[in-house]
Amino acid sequence: MTQTFNETLGESQLECKDLGYAYSGTNFIFKDISIKTYADELVAIVGPSGTGKSTFLRVLASLIPSTAGHAFLNNVEMKDPSSQISLVHQSIATFPWMTALDNVKIVLRNKVKDDEATEIAKKMIALVGLNGHEDAYPKEMSGGMRQRIAIARALAASPTIMLMDEPFVHLDELTANSLRAEIYSIVFNPENTLKSVILVSHNLHEVVQLADRVYVMGGTPARIVNEIKIDLPRPRSEEDPLFYEYVKTLYKELMPKESVG
Amino acid sequence: MELITIILATLASLSRVLMLILISIVSGWILSYVAVKNRKFENIYISFVNIFESIPVIGFLPIVLVIFISGLGGTLGVEIAADFLVFDAIVWNIWIGQYQAFKTIPQHLIEVSENYNFGWWGKMKNLYIPFSYPRVSSDIFPSFADALFYIMVSEVFSVGITAYKVFGIGTLIVQATSTGDLTSIYECLGVLAVGVVVITLAFGSFSKHAIAKYGLNTSIEIKRHIGYWRPHIRKWSKDVIPTPRVSKYATKMKMGTENIQTAVTKVRTSRSFEKIGKYIGTGIAWMFLIFIGYSSINVILSVPHSQWAIYLAQTPNLLYQMGVDYIRVIVVTIVSFVFAVSLGYYLANHKKASTISLPIIQTISAFPAPAYFPLIFAATAPLFLHNLSSVETELYVMLLCFLGTFYYVFFGFWVGVRAIPTEFLEVTQNYKIGFFTKMRRIILPATFPYLVTGLSSTINSAWGGLAVGEFWPNIYGNQTLQVHTGMMKVISKGLANGDMGIAAWTSLLFAIVVGVYSIVFTRNLMDLARKKYVIEEGIYAA
Ligand SMILES: Nc1ncnc2c1ncn2[C@@H]1O[C@H](COP(=O)(O)OP(=O)(O)OP(=O)(O)O)[C@@H](O)[C@H]1O
Ligand SMILES: [Mg+2]
Repeated sequence: MTQTFNETLGESQLECKDLGYAYSGTNFIFKDISIKTYADELVAIVGPSGTGKSTFLRVLASLIPSTAGHAFLNNVEMKDPSSQISLVHQSIATFPWMTALDNVKIVLRNKVKDDEATEIAKKMIALVGLNGHEDAYPKEMSGGMRQRIAIARALAASPTIMLMDEPFVHLDELTANSLRAEIYSIVFNPENTLKSVILVSHNLHEVVQLADRVYVMGGTPARIVNEIKIDLPRPRSEEDPLFYEYVKTLYKELMPKESVG
Repeated sequence: MELITIILATLASLSRVLMLILISIVSGWILSYVAVKNRKFENIYISFVNIFESIPVIGFLPIVLVIFISGLGGTLGVEIAADFLVFDAIVWNIWIGQYQAFKTIPQHLIEVSENYNFGWWGKMKNLYIPFSYPRVSSDIFPSFADALFYIMVSEVFSVGITAYKVFGIGTLIVQATSTGDLTSIYECLGVLAVGVVVITLAFGSFSKHAIAKYGLNTSIEIKRHIGYWRPHIRKWSKDVIPTPRVSKYATKMKMGTENIQTAVTKVRTSRSFEKIGKYIGTGIAWMFLIFIGYSSINVILSVPHSQWAIYLAQTPNLLYQMGVDYIRVIVVTIVSFVFAVSLGYYLANHKKASTISLPIIQTISAFPAPAYFPLIFAATAPLFLHNLSSVETELYVMLLCFLGTFYYVFFGFWVGVRAIPTEFLEVTQNYKIGFFTKMRRIILPATFPYLVTGLSSTINSAWGGLAVGEFWPNIYGNQTLQVHTGMMKVISKGLANGDMGIAAWTSLLFAIVVGVYSIVFTRNLMDLARKKYVIEEGIYAA
């Protein structure tokens, strides 16, 4: 295991070539998208609302079939959904009749022994900071807690790639901030198998805070119109003037498209 | 038989059914609204509906006969009696569905409607009624099928030697089967099939539209009217019905105290509307009670004292016969359930197969089993070359039950699966959750509320199937299909022999058992479904 780990380190993890998707016929939502992620990298995607970011993540996870192009995980073409690529939805989806623990365990059932499943699930719940809430039902939890459960569930499936669609958008600013501060260490914790994360977000501060690289999506059909590397040391601080420069750059990237659309 | 007569009879029967469906829907909206607002009424209403839903049409015959036939008499009496029987076949299912839809409106939507003072009619129009569309659209279908299932029982009924009948396709089919007139049977079935297909297609497209547009975030695409009609419809709705917008009231209210005053009056009038609604509801509840009381007393009075002793003595035996029927119902229900869930799951995962087979299943399901069952019987029974053994008779009766019932669980399950928000299905795909885990922990719980209603409808119609099948004189020509033991046979036979007393007494016993059962069992199951298994609540979205 460690052998392969070392071998793949630094190589591209998830890659897509000329990916395109059309809901019907030839009306492409997005087209010709080619991106790559590397190990231990958090890549952000920004773009105006309705560009097709959520759709793009669904195609990357093979939850809906691409209309054009190919996606690869470790150079193997992806055709079917796989728990190697976990999607955390824009709207938080937790099963109302399952406790937090069961919501996480559901991805492990019949794959590992029950004891082991419980153990892994508990570990992941602890990782997202919810220990003590294992027996709570979603209804008894706040939006932020439910989102952590969804993240714990995604992590429990031992994915290589995690796709996060606006994961903090339903949370209040305080909760979002603390979760943002934790998320980087959570996802790149050596306790889990995760190699890279793709984060879709509207919040440019969040993007500059978390991302190593940013793809800007825009146009109709949407394409990648720019790629920006965020070269800031971690932990990053909003006070840092350079931080602000990056936010401004991204803002400019999005400006013209938003005034047109 | 003349073809034109057959066509007219079909039109008569179908319009009778459609009218009564419409009446059920409109009255159901009002009653359900009152029920969700008024605790006392809710309790009475739900118990009543549950009990009545569980009593097959034939159980009402004694009451109906006493009231409408001997009370009113004449053609009108017979027509109302027939309408009442059809109404009984369709209404409960629709009412329960509407009530459940109203009960499951998400709190935040209710709060919005309270917040902006929609008023009674505004709330109905903008929230309650639209929210119930998916349920209503999926419930009218089984109701329609149920009404047709009983079409032959409700259009023709005989007591002793007197036969009562109204003009309709059910009457014609009964005539044709009892004389063994094959050509006429085929003609009747053919014309009826055309009508059923047309109506089924209409219901189907309404239902698809309703679920896509009014359901919460499901994977079904919203179909829009495109092309020629669209602008016209728009224009028409703008010109003819100018819809007041909430924002208009909001700006008005900013303008001064005077307008706030009007707004307050508006709220008051809406409250008084609600009060009127409550009175209507209570009034209807009382009408029910009086109706039941009156008819029970009538039936009781029509029975001589000495007879009561006989009925009481027979009661243990009747309970035993009821037990036998319960076993039949359980077997049919289990078979239907397993079949429905397997088929539903398969179709949900095979889009192509489902687009072809669903309309077919739907059409067949609306086609009354008792109408074509004699043909199946006539074609297969002679193959046994001897008088039917009791096991073979059982098989026929169960087949009839199954043909009339399995659709309810099937469509319940189907609608439930379709209502699962896309995100959840994606979760199961994403993490490759295995078949059994998916079934047991996700699909079955998510469809649980739909399954509960589907199953209770199946159980109820299984009783209906028994009512028709356990004792069926002249099923084809002069052959009679009858079981050895069964409560429904006692009732049907009692009616056929003009022994109303035993039929009424057995119906009453049955009603009591069903009532107790529904209070201790069905209601709790429904409550559980409502509280815990509402998958729509699992999505936390802005
Ligand atoms: N089921 C569907 N059928 C047809 N078109 C759809 C469907 N779902 C989404 N779309 C269209 O696809 C486009 C992209 O939607 P998507 O949800 O991917 O956007 P997004 O970039 O994630 O937006 P947001 O930032 O608001 O979440 C939108 O223009 C939308 O109208
Ligand atoms: Mg999105």
